[in-house]
Amino acid sequence: MLFTSKRPHYEHLRKKWTAKHRSLQDKLFTKHEEVGRQMVVGGLGGLMLLTTPGIGAVPPPHTLTVGGQIEGEQDKNTLLAEKLKTVVPEEMRPLSIEEEDKVGELLSNSFGFSVKASMDGKKLNRSYGMIGGEQHLYRYPGDTLEKHADNAQDSAMYGSSGIAPGLGAWGYFAHSQAEFDDKAKMREKYYLAVQTFLSPGFAERVGEYRDFYRFRKMLVVNPKTGQAVVAVIGDAGPAAWTGKHLGGSPEVMHFVGLAKGPRKGAVLYFFIDDPDDKIPLGPVKATGKNLALRN
Amino acid sequence: MAYFYAKYIVIESLLSELQDLDLSEKERHHLANLADSSLHHTILDEILSQLSSEDKKAFLHKLKTDPEDEKIMEFLNEKIEGVEDKIKKVADELVAEMQKDIREAKKVK
Repeated sequence: MLFTSKRPHYEHLRKKWTAKHRSLQDKLFTKHEEVGRQMVVGGLGGLMLLTTPGIGAVPPPHTLTVGGQIEGEQDKNTLLAEKLKTVVPEEMRPLSIEEEDKVGELLSNSFGFSVKASMDGKKLNRSYGMIGGEQHLYRYPGDTLEKHADNAQDSAMYGSSGIAPGLGAWGYFAHSQAEFDDKAKMREKYYLAVQTFLSPGFAERVGEYRDFYRFRKMLVVNPKTGQAVVAVIGDAGPAAWTGKHLGGSPEVMHFVGLAKGPRKGAVLYFFIDDPDDKIPLGPVKATGKNLALRN
Repeated sequence: MAYFYAKYIVIESLLSELQDLDLSEKERHHLANLADSSLHHTILDEILSQLSSEDKKAFLHKLKTDPEDEKIMEFLNEKIEGVEDKIKKVADELVAEMQKDIREAKKVK
């Protein structure tokens, strides 16, 4: 089915920018033809001519390996989701310690790093709950929503979530724009808001718990699809009355497959034991090698 | 994806204008793709125009291998004087042109 629009300003821009794009592409191929068209196409990566909405869009980065080979990610996710059905209850309720141990073991085996519901004697109020979409957070003084996007596609995908008027529970991710680095950037991009204030023992040792949770790495998994993201705790919330148990940044919601519609759904969320900070933030794929429970 | 040149170009004003347009999700993504791709073509053309045939091939190979690799800029800095300014200049020009297009489009009834 062909895509049509009744918005004249869109049609005007689409025609103008498509013509401009064609002209740029022709110029590029003609001017540098001595290196070969294929070579130039390689440099364009996924950004080949995109004249019709809905087709030719750049695939999300997590489906591509370097060089543009599509991986069989979906199958491994599906396999993980199938395995999770055997250990995660249908009803979204707090897991028992025994269930948490089984899920932790399955996830650890699936992803190749240690995943736990409790760490250093601390645990959240639950490890299976309802995640809701959060807004972006200010990362440093003077930050804006537009600065969050690396390109127009990023902005189109995540910009509509907006930016929260207040700061996260731990303030800015960097003291200034000059100090803002890739690590801080990734922390905001893949942040979670969790109910730290409801974790057992929090009220008695607020300072200790606050420090423990600050940017603590967690694995978030959509048990229905197996889609998973490594994220950090970047904020406290949501309030208990919302009916949600945690919040995810626009990017987290996208990569667990819950960015559309009501922007919420059931997820598993477990601590990652990563003392040397070696596990990168972002979408993560099950290795597919250990998708079996040990008896 | 953040291309290796992402930190050298300023596109916030363009993103802001695009965000203000009344568009469906598909339309927004389509225009965003065209904007990103046009910028990429323009920057690629500027870089390739400054390189020898041999360096063009080396650059395109690096770009294909890992388009986000910041070492690509190190490579270019060795080959092209003031490459960062050159990239910024062509990107600024195209961004200004696209902003003008958006303002023009807003007047279309």
